[in-house]
Amino acid sequence: MKVASSERIEKKKPILKKLLDQLLQTYSYASILMTDSQGKDYSISRQGINISPNMFVEQGYVVKVYDGESYGEYSFSRIEESDIDTILEEVKNHVMPWAKQLPDGMGIKKYPQIPDEEYQFDKSTEYEISPEDIGDEEIVKRLNALREKALAQDEKILEFQTRFEYQLYHKLFLSPNKDMTQNVMWASGMLVGLIPKGEEMKMAFESCSDCGGMEVLDQLEKKIPHAVETLNRLAVSEPITPGEYECICAPDVTGMIVHEAFGHGVEMDMFVKKRALAENYIGKQVASPLVTMHDGAAAASQTASFLFDDEGTVAQDTVIIEKGILKTGMCDAQAAMALGVKPTGNGRRQGSGHKAYTRMTNTFFEPGTDKVEDMIASISYGFYLENASSGMEDPKNWGIQCLVDVAREIKDGKFTGKVFSPIVLTGYVPDLLKSISMMSDTMELAGTGYCGKGYKEWVKVSTGGPFIKAKIRLG
Amino acid sequence: MMREKLLQAIKKSGIETYSVTEKCTEGAELYFIKKDLDMRRMKKEALSDVTIYRDFEEDGKKMRGSANICIFPEMTQEEVDKAVSGAYYAASFVKNPYFELPKGKKEETVLVESSLCGKSLEEIGDAFVKALYSVDVNADAFINSSEFLMSKTNTAIYNSEGIDVSYEKYSVSGEFVVQCLTPQDVEQYQDFAYDDLDTEALATQAAQALEMVRMRAAATEAPEKGNYRLLLSGKELRDLMGLYVSRASAQMIYPGYSAYKKGMQVQGDEVKGEKLNLTLHASEPYSGEGIPMKDLQLIQNGTLERIYGTARFSYYLGVEPTGTYKAVKLDNGTKSFDEMKKAPYLHVVSFSDFSMDSFSGYFGGEIRLAYLYDGENVTPVTGGSVSGNLLELQKDMVFSTDCYKDKNYDGPFAVEFQNVAVAGR
Repeated sequence: MKVASSERIEKKKPILKKLLDQLLQTYSYASILMTDSQGKDYSISRQGINISPNMFVEQGYVVKVYDGESYGEYSFSRIEESDIDTILEEVKNHVMPWAKQLPDGMGIKKYPQIPDEEYQFDKSTEYEISPEDIGDEEIVKRLNALREKALAQDEKILEFQTRFEYQLYHKLFLSPNKDMTQNVMWASGMLVGLIPKGEEMKMAFESCSDCGGMEVLDQLEKKIPHAVETLNRLAVSEPITPGEYECICAPDVTGMIVHEAFGHGVEMDMFVKKRALAENYIGKQVASPLVTMHDGAAAASQTASFLFDDEGTVAQDTVIIEKGILKTGMCDAQAAMALGVKPTGNGRRQGSGHKAYTRMTNTFFEPGTDKVEDMIASISYGFYLENASSGMEDPKNWGIQCLVDVAREIKDGKFTGKVFSPIVLTGYVPDLLKSISMMSDTMELAGTGYCGKGYKEWVKVSTGGPFIKAKIRLG
Repeated sequence: MMREKLLQAIKKSGIETYSVTEKCTEGAELYFIKKDLDMRRMKKEALSDVTIYRDFEEDGKKMRGSANICIFPEMTQEEVDKAVSGAYYAASFVKNPYFELPKGKKEETVLVESSLCGKSLEEIGDAFVKALYSVDVNADAFINSSEFLMSKTNTAIYNSEGIDVSYEKYSVSGEFVVQCLTPQDVEQYQDFAYDDLDTEALATQAAQALEMVRMRAAATEAPEKGNYRLLLSGKELRDLMGLYVSRASAQMIYPGYSAYKKGMQVQGDEVKGEKLNLTLHASEPYSGEGIPMKDLQLIQNGTLERIYGTARFSYYLGVEPTGTYKAVKLDNGTKSFDEMKKAPYLHVVSFSDFSMDSFSGYFGGEIRLAYLYDGENVTPVTGGSVSGNLLELQKDMVFSTDCYKDKNYDGPFAVEFQNVAVAGR
């Protein structure tokens, strides 16, 4: 089924068109983004049951104008026809003149006018079962059943928190040549387990996600045994001896390497600021010839799939690395203008009250041709890494910092049953990517996480890829 | 307007228990690339965060379910009615044990005193921009980019038990990146947050960051792998204290995620280093539930003095509800920082991303810049990673007498740990 359109957008659109016309009497370019979003987070744990709004729920507007040399934005949370004059006054008398009143020594970065290709559409993503149709009672019941089943597996396990979240959003983008509406729904579920190890609490999780609805949660139940086994191993885990090892990365760890270690470095607003080493490597080899990397809202059907970004650029599938060669980065509209390239549909905001930056969407490596069992069998001594927990970008120097919770020891091609935790992955990104020697013939994308720009500006993303074999420095 | 619609909807649904936090924010933002303005933004936003409660019995036990909703200014009375009645319905499936909401009365609006009050957001922004760039005067190390976010927020908190409080608060936050081109092109990220017109502090932070990035440009090698006497300083101490703040919260203790009990020695029985003296610092006049906030001694001489938290989890544990806290004061320090630096050490001054996991006690991260003293020379190093466990190392912590203060931390500048594993060359 297709996600239905928003009545609020239909009602507000004539008012927004009037506002746009009025803005265009003063400015050569103006655009308006309207967001109408709903969604809920459900969780059950020893803390209790929780039903709350999804963190991205909002009703808001962003006006963007061009004064012939630079851009300014005004965002607000309500509009009636009678508010148009007030909004115009804010933009004309406060937002735009501010650039001329800055302290001495400060200038303005000059930009051309945004190319405004003509697009008119109203499109929707698809889903099978709407969480709203299922209702709160049934969702709580399902999460509770899942939790009870997981907890019944092993009495040593202190906690299995079950979570389900979804967001259903509608966006309208208006500019002189654009009138686009999108209606999108994504959903994700999580199973987070805790097991005591002395004074420590060890954590393991399993997840499921998709561009869709309630049907997504069905994937979680079959992951319970793996979570239980991981927790039991973590309860007797040890710290690792630091060093460089041959590793097999599970798809979630591959995803973290793709996203944190490499993806942030090819966000092209970083090129504009001269903050990314990748700018000097376009057309050069940065990874093993086995590696082809994609990013794009249209590159996969996942939690970061949409039809157009928050600056009105239509969604794309961008090949970032092709057979080891860095082809391009990803960029928002303003960065694209600064660099003289075409935007790739990566201009995203946390919400109407936030600036658009270059942000990743669905980011992943293409699968290879190897079987996972052959990959494990090829390791004489090394580790199988899974349960990626966090990572941090370093676009300037391509330093890696990724944390994973589980490293399973492999000796002579077989698991020994020993687990090490926690694990820090460090090193130089191209060294790691060039060391990739095997890639599995299957891949997985996970979209339960949120991505920040530095320490703020959260957006929904998905990451993943195949199992990979690489040499990695672990600590 | 939002309040009227909401109270009407609550009445229509026959709801007896609720709590609401209403926020109206005016914001102004500036984004620079080097010294050029890249984007300016202003905003006016409003939102009510509403919790609807429903009491019922389950197997003879008194329960209080709840569900949260957001109410936006554009919602019609019908939409608010629907959202509120939906939340009341949802609350009937939330089978949480009964608890009491905090009680109170209508209070005068508090204007949080600050030197930012009375100034326009543009004026405040201009003052901080001027301060940051006042130290950007050299070609070798400079400010690559910066962001300034100024806001004035009016918060009103009211509930069915008579609480009706409000406050107005100004704040400034942002971030900047410093860059040094030679002998190698490197950068350092910095963030800042102030509730006062503390432009001097920002200029000092920027000057120190510029000096630090020069040092990082000179650092070429990672430290050798091994165990080190580790010195951590500045904001990393706030993160380390996060373990105690988290483990002492009713929200963590009630479900058994934390085994903390009032009166326990949080660092164990055999403390060879300093025993902690940690205070929770109130940085807002009221908690999210409208409880008046005050400073609370959390740990004294290593003993947990109290458990703190929200109304629900505090009720479950039979302790006084206090609200949750973001800021701490640490009253420790027995050794000067200079003294700490007399024996060989690894002083990490910048991590890619410092992690402190309060569940496992693990802390660490990739080293962006550290100073390594081998007993003869101090060398800047970069790369490799630190992995420690505070639960093991907390017995031997020694804090500096030199101090450091930011929005969420006031206490010793540095802490010394013995024998911490470092993955390096």
